[in-house]
Amino acid sequence: MRVMVLVKADENSEAGALPDEKTLTEMGKFNEELVRAGVMLAGEGIQASSKGARVRFGKGTKPTVFDGPFTEAKELIAGFWLWQVKSMEEAIEWLKRAPFQDTEVEIRPVFESTDFAPSDPTGELMAAEERLRAQSEQLNKAARR
Amino acid sequence: MRFMMLMIPKGYEIAEPGTMPDAKAVAGMMKYNESLQQAGVLLALDGLHPPSMGARVSFPGGKPKVTDGPFSEAKEVVGGYWMIQVKSKEEAIEWAKRCPGSETEVIEVRQVQEMSDFPPDVAEAAAGFADLQAQSGQSKGS
Repeated sequence: MRVMVLVKADENSEAGALPDEKTLTEMGKFNEELVRAGVMLAGEGIQASSKGARVRFGKGTKPTVFDGPFTEAKELIAGFWLWQVKSMEEAIEWLKRAPFQDTEVEIRPVFESTDFAPSDPTGELMAAEERLRAQSEQLNKAARR
Repeated sequence: MRFMMLMIPKGYEIAEPGTMPDAKAVAGMMKYNESLQQAGVLLALDGLHPPSMGARVSFPGGKPKVTDGPFSEAKEVVGGYWMIQVKSKEEAIEWAKRCPGSETEVIEVRQVQEMSDFPPDVAEAAAGFADLQAQSGQSKGS
């Protein structure tokens, strides 16, 4: 199964402060372990919410755009990993070893196309999603070069 | 530049384990996903099971403490995301506006950090990460 690990923003990340060298080094080691164990699928840092926007959808009206920062949001995200694990327990064990201090990190299982089997008897949705993923994967690899 | 579009569906914070999206909504969303794909902007996308199937780990004083979902204090939670490659924040917002979202949904558009955003000394300390990402790949789960 895949899980998404969501790292929360704090005052520092929201102020655009970069992690110090010690934090980067420790996190680098942890990331290396994840890669060596075949757990790491992806990982990204997200810029402060002041550089972002929110789009709210209405009923029969045009979507409304709000510019960041989102000071009212208590659960902003500053980064994420995508991990390949055998169980939630394994994901939790990995996360417990991460070099964090005084923060809270969330683990969420990701929907796999097989989860939709009951509402997709012909397999049509699953096939469409597989195609979409294969194409995105190629683009993703190119974007990282 | 890369942007993450985070789908925040109101009510998902209290959704029961095993909650599935409505088939009709999924069909509409697949059309939107295909339009992102056809425009060559879609890098990755995923849906997340509700928080009641997840867990949080906090680190008071550096010591891990596990809390099972749902998370009673959470007012809004992520339901899924798209990673897109676009030329500007405006273009990212335009894509978010085209999503067939309902009135209970909000999309948060956030810019992804690139190595080029870091000053040279930080970039050097984080240099291994780009290699790690290249090694890790986006292999499909099972």
